[in-house]
Amino acid sequence: MTRIFIPQDAGARAVGADRVADALRAEAARRGRDVTLVRTGSRGLFWLEPMIEVETPAGRIAYGPVTAGDAATLFEAGLEEGGAHPLRLGKPDDIPFLKQQTRITFARCGIVDPTSLDDYRAHGGYRGLSRALQIGPPGVIEAVTASGLRGRGGAGFPTGIKWKTVADTAADRKFIVCNADEGDSGTYADRMIMEGDPFSVIEGMTIAGYAVGATRGYIYIRSEYPDAIRAMERAIVVAVNRGCLDDFCLEVRVGAGSYVCGEETALLESIEGRRGQVRAKPPLPAHKGLFGRPTVVNNLVTLATVPAILADGAERYAALGVGRSRGTMPIQIAGNVRHGGLFEAPFGLTLGEIVDGIGGGTANGRPVRAVQVGGPLGAYFPRALFDTPFDYEAFAGRDGLIGHGGIVVFDDSVDMARQARFALEFCGIESCGKCTPCRIGSVRGVETIDRIIAGDRRDANLALVEDLCQTLKFGSLCALGGFTPYPVMSAITHFPEDFGRTRLPAAAA
Amino acid sequence: MSLIHEIDYGTPPSAAAETVSLTIDGNRVAVPVGTSIMRAAMDAGIQVPKLCATDSVDAFGSCRLCLVEIAGRPGTPASCTTPVAAGMVVSTQTERLKQVRKGVMELYISDHPLDCLTCAANGDCELQDMAGAVGLRDVRYGYQGENHLTAAKDESNPYFTFDPAKCIVCSRCVRACEEVQGTFALTIQGRGFESKVSAGMAETFIESECVSCGACVQACPTATLMEKSVIEIGQPEHSVVTTCAYCGIGCNFKAEMRGEELVRMVPFKDGQANDGHSCVKGRFAWGYANHRERILNPMIRDRIDQPWREVSWSEAIGRVASEFKRLQGAHGVRAIGAISSSRCSNEETYLVQKLVRGGFGNNNIDTCARVCHSPTGYGLKATFGTSAGTQDFASVEHSDVVIVIGANPTDAHPVFASRLKKRLRQGARLIVIDPRRIDLVRTPHVEAAYHLALRPGTNAAILNALAHTIVTEGLVNEAFIRERCDSSAFEHWASFVSEPQNSPEAVGLISGVPPEAIRAAARLFATGGNGAIYYGLGVTEHSQGTTAVMAIANLAMVTGNLGRPGVGVNPLRGQNNVQGSCDMGSFPHELPGYRHVSDDGVRSTFEAFWGRPLDAEPGLRIGNMFDAALDGSFSGLYVQGEDILQSDPNTHHVAAALAAMECVVVQDLFLNETSAYAHVFLPGSTFLEKDGTFTNAERRINRVRRVMAPRNGMADWEITLAIGRAMGFEMPYGHPSEVMDEIARLTPTFAGVSYELLDKVGSVQWPCNTAAPLGTPVMHTDSFVRGKGNFIITEYVPTDEKVGPRFPLLLTTGRILTQYNVGAQTRRTANLAWHDQDVLEIHPHDAEQRGVRDGDWVRLDSRTGATSLRARVTDRVAPGVVYTTFHHPTTQTNVVTTDYSDWATNCPEYKVTAVQVAPSNGPTAWQRDYGDHADRGRRISKVAAE
Amino acid sequence: MDAAKLVMMANQIGRFFAGQRGTDPVVGIADHLEKFWEPRMRAAIIAHLAAGGTGLDGPVRDAVGRLDGMRTGRLGAGLKN
Repeated sequence: MTRIFIPQDAGARAVGADRVADALRAEAARRGRDVTLVRTGSRGLFWLEPMIEVETPAGRIAYGPVTAGDAATLFEAGLEEGGAHPLRLGKPDDIPFLKQQTRITFARCGIVDPTSLDDYRAHGGYRGLSRALQIGPPGVIEAVTASGLRGRGGAGFPTGIKWKTVADTAADRKFIVCNADEGDSGTYADRMIMEGDPFSVIEGMTIAGYAVGATRGYIYIRSEYPDAIRAMERAIVVAVNRGCLDDFCLEVRVGAGSYVCGEETALLESIEGRRGQVRAKPPLPAHKGLFGRPTVVNNLVTLATVPAILADGAERYAALGVGRSRGTMPIQIAGNVRHGGLFEAPFGLTLGEIVDGIGGGTANGRPVRAVQVGGPLGAYFPRALFDTPFDYEAFAGRDGLIGHGGIVVFDDSVDMARQARFALEFCGIESCGKCTPCRIGSVRGVETIDRIIAGDRRDANLALVEDLCQTLKFGSLCALGGFTPYPVMSAITHFPEDFGRTRLPAAAA
Repeated sequence: MSLIHEIDYGTPPSAAAETVSLTIDGNRVAVPVGTSIMRAAMDAGIQVPKLCATDSVDAFGSCRLCLVEIAGRPGTPASCTTPVAAGMVVSTQTERLKQVRKGVMELYISDHPLDCLTCAANGDCELQDMAGAVGLRDVRYGYQGENHLTAAKDESNPYFTFDPAKCIVCSRCVRACEEVQGTFALTIQGRGFESKVSAGMAETFIESECVSCGACVQACPTATLMEKSVIEIGQPEHSVVTTCAYCGIGCNFKAEMRGEELVRMVPFKDGQANDGHSCVKGRFAWGYANHRERILNPMIRDRIDQPWREVSWSEAIGRVASEFKRLQGAHGVRAIGAISSSRCSNEETYLVQKLVRGGFGNNNIDTCARVCHSPTGYGLKATFGTSAGTQDFASVEHSDVVIVIGANPTDAHPVFASRLKKRLRQGARLIVIDPRRIDLVRTPHVEAAYHLALRPGTNAAILNALAHTIVTEGLVNEAFIRERCDSSAFEHWASFVSEPQNSPEAVGLISGVPPEAIRAAARLFATGGNGAIYYGLGVTEHSQGTTAVMAIANLAMVTGNLGRPGVGVNPLRGQNNVQGSCDMGSFPHELPGYRHVSDDGVRSTFEAFWGRPLDAEPGLRIGNMFDAALDGSFSGLYVQGEDILQSDPNTHHVAAALAAMECVVVQDLFLNETSAYAHVFLPGSTFLEKDGTFTNAERRINRVRRVMAPRNGMADWEITLAIGRAMGFEMPYGHPSEVMDEIARLTPTFAGVSYELLDKVGSVQWPCNTAAPLGTPVMHTDSFVRGKGNFIITEYVPTDEKVGPRFPLLLTTGRILTQYNVGAQTRRTANLAWHDQDVLEIHPHDAEQRGVRDGDWVRLDSRTGATSLRARVTDRVAPGVVYTTFHHPTTQTNVVTTDYSDWATNCPEYKVTAVQVAPSNGPTAWQRDYGDHADRGRRISKVAAE
Repeated sequence: MDAAKLVMMANQIGRFFAGQRGTDPVVGIADHLEKFWEPRMRAAIIAHLAAGGTGLDGPVRDAVGRLDGMRTGRLGAGLKN
């Protein structure tokens, strides 16, 4: 019996993984071969998807990108033994894109069967929880603090401090909320974990619950992720049936298409059954969160990283990275890029290394002109800033943000005035409507940029946009309005020529 | 006089005792922990610009005008949502803040009509004020962008307009509807620029769940939600604080005027009973004051089949005096009497009883409280020693378990209901004991822990069963009973309630309530913390009304729920001055302050002061008057402000009694139903036209202030004086305040009350005397007024009104939010938009059996009479029970109610009538005849007055 | 006054006081009638008793019987209020 691994990740399915699985199954049957297909998550090398792997005595051998039509030739070539074939990629770990990574959060993703708790355990799962139970709740919080883990949703708030606040707040009930409302453009890390290694989320939330004294958790998943919702729910059923959730009750909640519900307080409102509107802070969710109770709201990647930190020690995690950005970050490379995919690495790579080196430049070979980092509210970086190291503080220092780790690459055909307009348009479409700057400002911003594009009193209107950006930045209630100035102002600053301005020498600095 | 502007602190106060100090713009200020920076700034005299914040609702943080900078903290936090911290250094004005505020205001105005000069809110618009405050001079975006300027108005509500073009989406209306009113009728629909205020699921206001309380209009900072009266008349220029004349809550309002014209009634924030809230009646339903049917001239006639003839005041008063004297001469001193009204002021009711006792020389004075809360007076006096509720309304904010029995606060006492719902949303538990599924049983974010849907007439049994559970399960508060109650009375009572006939299992069979629910409710009440009981006419208007009041008092005592905030026995009084009219000696057996007429000492005090000998025998109660009239021994009646024909039970009997009298004098605003049988009509004045006081359900004495001259030319109190004078009984007062001075002098519990004090402190709750110079919010704190609390045995005795094959259903009556009592006032307002006829609620099962569909005409028959009305098929009522209101004379619901009454007080048994319901094709012949008769009774001769 | 109605009212009062313990119901009933019934009502019920008292319950008969002697009497000690 030979096991063949085919991703069931939505990204792989989108390029035909299901058809490949059907074709391989049919081909094996036709040939009377004894093969078992295992649906895994994705390794995150999207230009090679569907990438299949076959288990051989020498280890797994990868092939890709495979199409259904390749089934016959693959068996012909001795697929089961890892035989030679034009699509043969060798051992996956030897593929440079994977080889260069430090996979901690994504260690199991693409390898294990996401429906199998045994597989999860066999690959180190639940070692973190065992360790947590040994060192007790204060020990867990200490370890998470010592690891330097910060919120991977984008805000980068130290996870240990958040947990300690919740642990120290007395209440009759507390909650753990996992934010899987992954809405940033070019991001998919949460989705990949849910589809490829869901038990790590369950384990991470269980540890968090244990640490702060919460017995109930919610995983809030955006409705646009049907596969992830299914995978997560299936994993919860397995965990419940296997007694892994006896002391901690977990529930999946599905969003309704609002980007703002990824903002933690709007997310809480949504779980409570209300309009997805941002709450004013204070009170912080750690003091008064879900149903008015102390609540840990963490990004999914943050929570999925916790088991590894406890299993292998906080020091090991903290040893990676630079400055105040410790550990690894799953960077998601997307857009017009040759090697798009998930790249987990310690903080500190420069933007240029990521885009040009790892990503290999644009997919169509044109020069890279701009890179948007950190989702639709992230700044556009010109080539001139490609020396910026990938870490929270370095990006903030250049009026940008790393956000959830999404990087979208644009070639030289991009019109940055259109991109600035898009940022404001996005803000307008996704605005919850609560605060004035975002609700009205986004619409006025689009109108003003349209006037700039049309050449109508450009300088006055650019000044108006800059004023609007100040109002949005300091006046908005949440990051949607507050961060919209990043893409807008970075486009105006770094690409003035697209706005009818001449590039000043200083602008490139 | 000028317009009263209450200070808006932006956010609600913090209740914390501990204070912190901080610095705001260089000023040191100390405020309670939990106070917002915005409110602290107001305390320091610094107004931070704001639009979405107002101190009636929690901070929201959406307008972004109130941003401040705090030393050592990043960004520009909103001062409304950020609480103070010790040592904080706050700047409310910096260059950056100025720019942001101006930027925000520029955005607002880019989507707002530029019609300030013709806008109804011109001069009373916070947006306008803020545009000025932030120094906005230019809207660089222009006005050609996307906007809401053409959004359609919703004018469906009769009292206010919703103009979305002027809306700034601050959510103040939505939050007021949720937090202040607790109805949750409003929401924001859509998101981003499409966000807009929506009533219900994009319905019009009138079709939505909106109860038209006005909280949203009050909260709106612009002209978006605006009173139609302001749109029509313009902004008011002066205001007078007065007290609402509907229901027993006693809300304070600012009557906002333009000259003599009332522009609007706005709930007064410092009103201690209402805390700035209102309901559709007090807020909007005042148009009856100017209704065309208002009678402004005195009228007389010799016989009731004649048309009325307008006469001078002197002729009318002379007729009253000569007739009354003639009748006393012919039939004896006790042949005449008077009925006063709880809709009138303390001073007016005091004068009517004084007229009767001193001028008529008998005690034939009764008041409409007879037919509502007389059992409360008797029951609470017997158990506690005082004929009044024990708490203030604010007490409910400390309650953990609330029993609502025989009351429907969301309809009848809406402003208190809002307060109660707020507490319930905070987590207090609720037990509803009512035959109907009243709104409180399940309303947004509120659900009763138990609804004991008892069969009408079984209150005493259920209350005994609750007590049985508490006593037999060892849940008694022994310390309270030991220290505060009469021990032998307790022992007798405890052994009585422990008997098997009082067990939930036995009572379950009588009441139809599952025994387990009774037990669970009893356990919750006894063990759930502070327990408060609120009740209404569903308790009192029974043959065992007094017994049930006593049973409520027993229940409060056995659980130790008396004498502190959060607990108590709380009668919800139906009309504005039920408590006051009772306090004023309006019952035939007692002088002001609940002192029996046979008490020689008390009587001699009054005799000395009034200069007249007083009768030591009790007089006739209302029902007794009718019986005596039919007997021929009672033939003259002065009725002030009460429509006894419509409101008293068994209309046939009342009509016959009135017809048997020789001189019926009606003093009222309109030719009411009773006036069809009257010989003299004296036009009265509305609460807007008078000075005086009302005493609400929490014993709070509130000032009523004259906002306009009496349209009839003579104040109500002056009319009573004139009758007295004409009969030779001089009552010398120059102003109602002098009447109150006399009341204070003669009544120990009122000894400290004066208009001067009320003007100074707003209101006081009696007892108000040297022991309690500022009044008494909570009674019986250390000991009961009577000394030891008295447990009284409350044996359940079924009413004689029983269902049978001919009358298989039980009718119970009540009222609805938008109408008030007999509807004399509310039927003459736009409140008809919600309720223009009485309807009969009938369970689908009973309706199906009778072939009745929703909206059909049905005939309602009882042993005393029949009427027809339309049916509403609903499971709010249980099978076997039907329900209707008594607001419309075209229905004249009381034609079916009976003569049965409370054993102790003769309070009629309105709540239990055996009836049959059958499909019909319209009003009964009696209804048509009645209507014709009433119309004939209202004819006014066109001959000029002499 | 309608005797039947007065009898019904008096019996209602009687039923309440008959249920009390540690006090004499007759005193309670008589006191209640004395305090709350107008003289012509008391006269009518007394006359009804004199005419045989049809319909009056036992303790109520006794109480009405006492009324005559109590016409100008002091307030009784019936119900403790």
